[in-house]
Amino acid sequence: MSLQSGYFKKHLHIVLSEGSDERLPLEDAFLEKYIGGRGFGAKLVWDNLRKRKFNIDPLDPENLLVVAPGPLSGVYLPASGKTSFVTISPATGLYGDSSIGGSFGVELRQTGIDVLSVTGRAPELSVIFIDNNETTIIPMPELKGKSCLEAEGLIKERLGTHAVHIAVIGVAGENMVKFACVNADWGRNAGRTGIGAVMGAKNLKAIVVRGQKDIPVYDITSLVAETEKACKYLEEHKYFKMWQQEGLMNVIEYANEKGILPAYNFKDSVFTKHDQINGATMLSHYKIGDSACFSCPMCCSNICLVKNGKYTGTVVEGPEYESCAMLGPNLGIDNFAAILSANRLCDELGMDTISTGNIVGAVIEGYEKGILSLTDLDGREITWGDEDAILDLIQRIAYREGIGDILANGARHIIDKWPEMDKIILQVKGLEQSAYDSRPSISMGLAYATSDIGAHHTRAWTIAKEMEEGQDWSDDEKVDTVIYHQKLRPLFDMLGVCRLPWIELGLSERHYENFYKYVTGKEATLEQLLELSNDVYDLTRLINVRLGISRKDDSLPHKVWANPPLTGPNAGRVIDREDFQKLLSLYYRKRGWDEDGMPPAGIEKKFED
Amino acid sequence: MSKKLTVIPELCSGCSICELVCSIRHFGVNNPKKSAIRVLTTYPHPVLRMPIVCSQCKTPSCAQVCPTDALRWIDGVVHLDEENCTSCYKCVEACPFGAIYAHEDCDLPIICDMCSGDPECVKKCPKGALRLIPEAALGEAKRLNNVLSYTQMKEIEYYEKGEKKIIHYAEIGKEEL
Repeated sequence: MSLQSGYFKKHLHIVLSEGSDERLPLEDAFLEKYIGGRGFGAKLVWDNLRKRKFNIDPLDPENLLVVAPGPLSGVYLPASGKTSFVTISPATGLYGDSSIGGSFGVELRQTGIDVLSVTGRAPELSVIFIDNNETTIIPMPELKGKSCLEAEGLIKERLGTHAVHIAVIGVAGENMVKFACVNADWGRNAGRTGIGAVMGAKNLKAIVVRGQKDIPVYDITSLVAETEKACKYLEEHKYFKMWQQEGLMNVIEYANEKGILPAYNFKDSVFTKHDQINGATMLSHYKIGDSACFSCPMCCSNICLVKNGKYTGTVVEGPEYESCAMLGPNLGIDNFAAILSANRLCDELGMDTISTGNIVGAVIEGYEKGILSLTDLDGREITWGDEDAILDLIQRIAYREGIGDILANGARHIIDKWPEMDKIILQVKGLEQSAYDSRPSISMGLAYATSDIGAHHTRAWTIAKEMEEGQDWSDDEKVDTVIYHQKLRPLFDMLGVCRLPWIELGLSERHYENFYKYVTGKEATLEQLLELSNDVYDLTRLINVRLGISRKDDSLPHKVWANPPLTGPNAGRVIDREDFQKLLSLYYRKRGWDEDGMPPAGIEKKFED
Repeated sequence: MSKKLTVIPELCSGCSICELVCSIRHFGVNNPKKSAIRVLTTYPHPVLRMPIVCSQCKTPSCAQVCPTDALRWIDGVVHLDEENCTSCYKCVEACPFGAIYAHEDCDLPIICDMCSGDPECVKKCPKGALRLIPEAALGEAKRLNNVLSYTQMKEIEYYEKGEKKIIHYAEIGKEEL
């Protein structure tokens, strides 16, 4: 059967410079082919690039920003609160996306649209308010310099309602820090690839949504039955309670035990004081509540409060694994309260915790190695675990003060300025690396190298499987696992749901074929959906290729080849360059790309209409 | 009916599953804005997730303001007489908890009917934050709430960007929600 439901078939396009908004119809063919989320985003960004002859600066107001939930967003099924922000990334200059949980995307859908795109630049700092069918662009220059959390409160006050959802940028976004994020629901973030800077470049402080509409579902009875089955599976899982309690913080212990936890800017992959910053410590001393994304029984997010000491009173939604690892062990910080404080600071400033942790770590190591002088650091010394200096540096990045002005431009710019930093900073294509050390896991290396947004684990996260059962995997198995992940994980982003029930608790991906069927009325097998997701992967590759990348860019940070972890189970291990190149060639062949990583000629036709 | 629907906000994660299952059961649609229960979230000072649903008051404020006597407390549940309701929404405004809702697509106010004694939200809450308990056990959650609020500090000073601020945690327990 063809598409029956699941969409509003509306695309809201806003041109900030003209103050105009228009609800454009969406064709069934578009909805069926690109599904939603990053699929919509990639297609709209591709169209915009073609119109502009592939010549666009990410911070140019004409760089299109797409916000797209999926057909399953907001639907009664496990963890349906995901929305993708898609644009050309200021960090990499290439395709970029980042997804956000919470409820923002659900409320956006309830205004009756499937996708929002924004272009142009508002004459003064403004807020987009989508109130059901009405869209207004409201100048709010008084929000200039306000933190994400404060701005969210002020906007609610100004609009006279608390019943709205807000995606907002902080000072970092306004100052176009290339790893600025978008914050929603008081502390959830579309963290990666610098989406916040794109909003800043558009003079767009926030997108506010309030929707009332029914989310279209084709067969609600079957949907409820399927969801009950899925929820029953999750709730009976032996680790379900642990997920509710610790959430992603349980990964700290795991990563430390396996030797993949970044410590001291990836100099090491275990942290001796891991028990001071792990999930158990959080539970016994800091956690005051659970927080869930929309319709998620797992509630993996935590709310923490510092109850005594220097950071008393700090409240933060989080931390999750990445933030804790990058702002803790990676900077030599063993004080959990300080990690919470740094996480809260990043939330307020609207700055990605992963990139921030990488860059601050690289600065500390760069100074230690003599690449950066005290003058470079504006006379302010910084060492491992120096909480005050670290918090100070984070602020200076957001406000672009002193060295912060250079650091704010991200890894690439730092390497341009100090070429020796190339050996220190961990990045691929300009995006700083996630908190999983790939040195003991070549498939994870391949995942980072071939991720369309740079060194992020969102596209493929094969490290756990390789560490546990894949030490004797053949090259074929490694590549197949990476490609399967690169099909399935982005599919979750296209559908508008979270992947954690699948990756963490083993909820069968077959459920999603049924969810899709019951919501849209369209029969499609998982394999067909994966093929559509794979097409989008080809499309993002095509975008990147047209923006200038080739095989040489599908590489890994210097440390991965040259500097093994100092201690722990993986001490001495690095990835061999030749092994990696062999694996990369195999990966290209299996994807049908040529030796230089180019998708087949004529593939552009596929994405023309 | 002797059972009451009660809320333990400390357990609520804010996932909104209660809202979804309520709208699906009563309206057959997937729309959290058509539910008789909503989770209100405050952050960061204080942090609170509070599901707000009809308390089935024995002397309901909503019934007192109803000009057509369409709301009546019968056997532990406030019933809405759809025939007599004029949709003036005085009840929505009168409820001291804000636990009656309005939606532009709906002709009538949305009020909890306890799902004939077996509320969907209670069954589907993944955290056990919504419970159906005997009337005599009422207040247990509140007692727990209060005790928990004392495990926090009552008042603390902290600094945010060099500015001194104060949080009053004990107020969590004082709120009449």
